[in-house]
Amino acid sequence: MNPADPKHPWSRLAAAARRVPDARDTTAPYGFSTRIAARAMTAERPMGSLFERLSWRALGVACLLAFASVALNFSALASPHPEEELATGGDDVVAVLLDLS
Amino acid sequence: MPEDDPPFDVPGCLARVRQRDQQAARDLVDHLYPLVIRIVRSHLPRRVLEEDLAQEVFMKMFTRIDQYQGAVPFPHWVSRIAVTTCIDHLRAQKRRPEFRWADLSEGEADVLDAVMTNESDVAPDDALEAHELVHKLLDQLKPDDRMVIQLLDLEQKTIAEISGLTGWSQSLVKVRAFRARRKLQKLFTDLKRKERS
Repeated sequence: MNPADPKHPWSRLAAAARRVPDARDTTAPYGFSTRIAARAMTAERPMGSLFERLSWRALGVACLLAFASVALNFSALASPHPEEELATGGDDVVAVLLDLS
Repeated sequence: MPEDDPPFDVPGCLARVRQRDQQAARDLVDHLYPLVIRIVRSHLPRRVLEEDLAQEVFMKMFTRIDQYQGAVPFPHWVSRIAVTTCIDHLRAQKRRPEFRWADLSEGEADVLDAVMTNESDVAPDDALEAHELVHKLLDQLKPDDRMVIQLLDLEQKTIAEISGLTGWSQSLVKVRAFRARRKLQKLFTDLKRKERS
């Protein structure tokens, strides 16, 4: 017999246990909420959120530095490199090797 | 609570709590205490004080309050914190006491004997002994299995509700219920074999 079966001893015990009323008071004990609120509101922010805030700040600084370095080196980046000019201006190496021209 | 009391304004209270308003935090604790203490009492591990466990639940709630997105009602979100906190404490209890006839009271042994030897329901006068027996039997299960069977059979929650409360998938809840019932079946078989001395 399976314990899920209503005739199983477990099911009959559980059914009887459910009939026991819980008459205990469910209001918070005196001073409980004051103590919890004081502890929670004065507690420092958790390390997770501190790390999160620092990470965002670090990301901002990193972006700023990236933009600054691009701006400072823009003229160098914009003008074509002399070596690059040679490479693009010369003959096609493959064509030369295969003697296609 | 009188019928004509205005409903508790949870979103408004949460907004004030997020601004570190202590009065709002107190109101929130007072409002949620009955819900939390019912869960804590139902799943209270041995040698743990219910007030300590309730305090831990509320401290977790305040620590994580910024993570609450409003996808589920706030009391459901807090219930989940309470249930998972209880499971953590149950898991921390490494040893589970062995279930023996000799450790039962006279009344408990009589009730257990009766349910194992006949098919009639437990008499209303014996409900308290049955309640104690059920909790002693639940103590034999693994914490996760115990939680599932308690929510299913004692609190009569549905699989979907248990899934929502624990954060486990519905398949996992079913697997745990199956495993717990198999263990209970084994317990009853062993008890029957040993008989009452």
